[in-house]
Amino acid sequence: MNTPKDKPHNTEPVLNKRVASGLSHVNSDGLLNYRSHALPTWCPGCGYYGITHGLTQAMNTLNIPNENLVVVSGIGCAGRMPFFVNGYGFHSIHGRALPIASGVKMASPELTVLCVGGDGDGFGIGGGHIAHVIRRNVDLTYIVFDNSIYGLTKGQASPTTPKGQVTSTSPFGTAEDPINPALISLAYNVSFLATGYAGDPDILNTIFQKALAHRGFSMIIVTTPCITFDHVNVTWNDFRDRFEPIPSGHNTGDIAAAMQLAISGKNYNGVLYQDDRPDWETRQKAIRKKSSG
Amino acid sequence: MKQTDSLVIKICGSAGDGAISAVEILNRACALMGFHIMNFDSYPAEIRGFGKSVGHTRISRTPLLTPGRYADCLVALNDMHAITELKRIKPDAALVYDSRPPDYIEEDCAVAGFIEPGMSGYGVPLRELSAQAVKSARSRNIVALGAIAAMYNLDPEAFIEAINIRFARKSAVVREINSAALKMGYEYIRNHRERPVHKTLLAVKRHDRPIRIVNGNEAAAIGALDAGLTLYAGYPITPATKIMEYLAKKLPPKNGTVVQTEDEIAAIGHVVGAGYTGKRAMTATSGPGLCLMTEMLNLAVQAEIACVVINSMRGGPSTGLPTKTEQADLNLALYGGSGDSPRVVLAPANVPECYIMTRRAFEIAEAFQTPVILLLDFFLSNRFEDVDETVLETFEPGMFKRLTAEPVSGKPFERFRVTDNGVSPAAFPGMPGLKHAITGLEHTPRGFPNYEGDNHRAMTEKRRRKFIELQNAWPHPDVTGPKGQLSIGVLSWGSSIGAVREALASPELKGLSIGGCFPRLLQPLQTEPLKLFANRCDRLVVVELNSSGQLAGLIEQTTHKKAMRLADVPAEPPAVEQIVRYLTGVLK
Repeated sequence: MNTPKDKPHNTEPVLNKRVASGLSHVNSDGLLNYRSHALPTWCPGCGYYGITHGLTQAMNTLNIPNENLVVVSGIGCAGRMPFFVNGYGFHSIHGRALPIASGVKMASPELTVLCVGGDGDGFGIGGGHIAHVIRRNVDLTYIVFDNSIYGLTKGQASPTTPKGQVTSTSPFGTAEDPINPALISLAYNVSFLATGYAGDPDILNTIFQKALAHRGFSMIIVTTPCITFDHVNVTWNDFRDRFEPIPSGHNTGDIAAAMQLAISGKNYNGVLYQDDRPDWETRQKAIRKKSSG
Repeated sequence: MKQTDSLVIKICGSAGDGAISAVEILNRACALMGFHIMNFDSYPAEIRGFGKSVGHTRISRTPLLTPGRYADCLVALNDMHAITELKRIKPDAALVYDSRPPDYIEEDCAVAGFIEPGMSGYGVPLRELSAQAVKSARSRNIVALGAIAAMYNLDPEAFIEAINIRFARKSAVVREINSAALKMGYEYIRNHRERPVHKTLLAVKRHDRPIRIVNGNEAAAIGALDAGLTLYAGYPITPATKIMEYLAKKLPPKNGTVVQTEDEIAAIGHVVGAGYTGKRAMTATSGPGLCLMTEMLNLAVQAEIACVVINSMRGGPSTGLPTKTEQADLNLALYGGSGDSPRVVLAPANVPECYIMTRRAFEIAEAFQTPVILLLDFFLSNRFEDVDETVLETFEPGMFKRLTAEPVSGKPFERFRVTDNGVSPAAFPGMPGLKHAITGLEHTPRGFPNYEGDNHRAMTEKRRRKFIELQNAWPHPDVTGPKGQLSIGVLSWGSSIGAVREALASPELKGLSIGGCFPRLLQPLQTEPLKLFANRCDRLVVVELNSSGQLAGLIEQTTHKKAMRLADVPAEPPAVEQIVRYLTGVLK
């Protein structure tokens, strides 16, 4: 019988000596605790590295047991994340990470479940699931890597691509208006919403820590450039000008105020909204009690 | 007075007249007396309005294979609807009708006007007697049951016991007045007719075995519960919804979860997610829902995740005939999806098998790390049978067992190790030392994406190879009929098997050189026993409820032998009479 061997190529674990020694000081800080031995397949300079760094820091601070960590993703550049995390990973199908992650958490509530994906995966093909995972308030942390483009298929328009942008499937500019994912999530009555950008991993770290600690569904929309296929919309250059801290005095328990921020046309770096309501498991416990009473 | 082996009773009314609940009580009473029953009602897709409801049940001394098509007794709770059922009664049938109907029934709309020579009319003042007993016409269905008890020499006490069970949650008054209504119908026939008895059933002995009257949906749901279901995710769709409704009540007390998802894609997504963590999870749907699930089923094949899907088939394509039975999703179950996507397909033939195969499905799914699709249909999902509880209790788990990995220090875990039998030891989140990632992409033994031909070939073969063991371990198809060379070999699957078996045992065909072969495992098909059967048949006939002959095609492919098709879409269960006629024609 022909037994295939794991050969080194794309996502295979290749750590050459130079890379290994370069990483040794990072390792001593514990920042590699949550990185697998597989090297990311993302382009050099991609914003996803910044997001991953912020996330690694947050998990390291919270000290989540690796074997209890599950990262579920759909399809896209961000979808490859599970291979790069030191935990259990499920790289699933396009747009369906949320239902799968929900099933993981519902069946095994003791696990810490992260769900990751891009804007096409989350707001395009999988957009229908967001409302319902929010209704159930399943205790998941959902990170959307929003680069306003389909990167893995090489640069087609996505639901967050600004109107009129030229892409490979819109040579004369897109005809559609982009969606406002923060506003939509708030309208669905999400129990935790934060926005941020890939260029500031330290703030992402604090946001992710809050999100992971939130009991219920937490959604973080992270704007990030696609340096390979988008040279117009979001680039590293205009990031710092576009994002600002959450205005002082903003009440994160006030959904109307959060909606005001979401429609202000500005981009904020921080938690827009958070409330405390029973998560799915708590609701199930109540139903189980009722059912056997 | 005629004696008969089995009796078919139809109670026909407008939706809301109580035709269906009368049959429920009749079933229970007959089961208490020790008879076997098979009950298959029909009602419209619309909830109320003036739709026709027909409660249809068959009572017998011996176990039943079909609910029968032509009635010995038709009860008219609504004359207009009963008239349309007259084509489905025997020439010597009895007709129970309201002998003092309300004035507004026009003469040519009265069912009594259609009594033919040979039939017996049983006029009973159903409304009046009901009014005397319960002060309204509401219990005329119960009065009619009393008449049936007298007409077929059935013990009225068993009916009263059944009424008490049916109305156990209602007040004692409700039970009393309905018992009174029953007695009035009973006495009326006894007192007003010279020869009250229409036919008698060959007597049975009352036994003490606990009997449950369940339909296929309920049996499958109980099977899932007994298998230790953790999560049920589903989206409402006829005829599968009752499985979710049952589990919504029964699963939470067992610490399980039922989630009604936003669509079928999310339903199977939840199931795959739960299966990925090593827990038992299931969904149930019908054809349109299974269409939506195919992509996720492919993922479960590629990522080797255990999951169980019940597909209760209805008439198609598209929304089709939601409340009518058909067996036309076989191809979808076998092949739906992209790429080479082997999965297990099982088709139970009767209600007890719905229980047994659902339990087995979880074992198969776990042992072979695969999706398992159970094919029920509207008929099997909704037909009630008396099930001896010992059948449920004597189920022996452990026919197939899951292989779980142990961590080996210093060696990376190979979740998809290529083994001789194709099964790789599994590991689940939470297990230390076995962390890995899985993917819908083609992958190496360690689970990393890989697009090379050699690896893809080895993995594709491994995923197919898994099923050889199942093919060998699963019981061979039932084979009936004389030994040696046969003029005709009849094959069938799922809920149609009963009608074929009844046809083969009919006086017209009994003793002829005809045999039957009835597989339950439809993928992987058990090639050898099927070939063996086909080789001793001059001709093969495949009976199924679809128009293209979906199993017939599979049988031809497997046995390299032409199969004649009795493939029909009558929007109802197959008729024994049609099968007998067809086979007689083939023999000529």
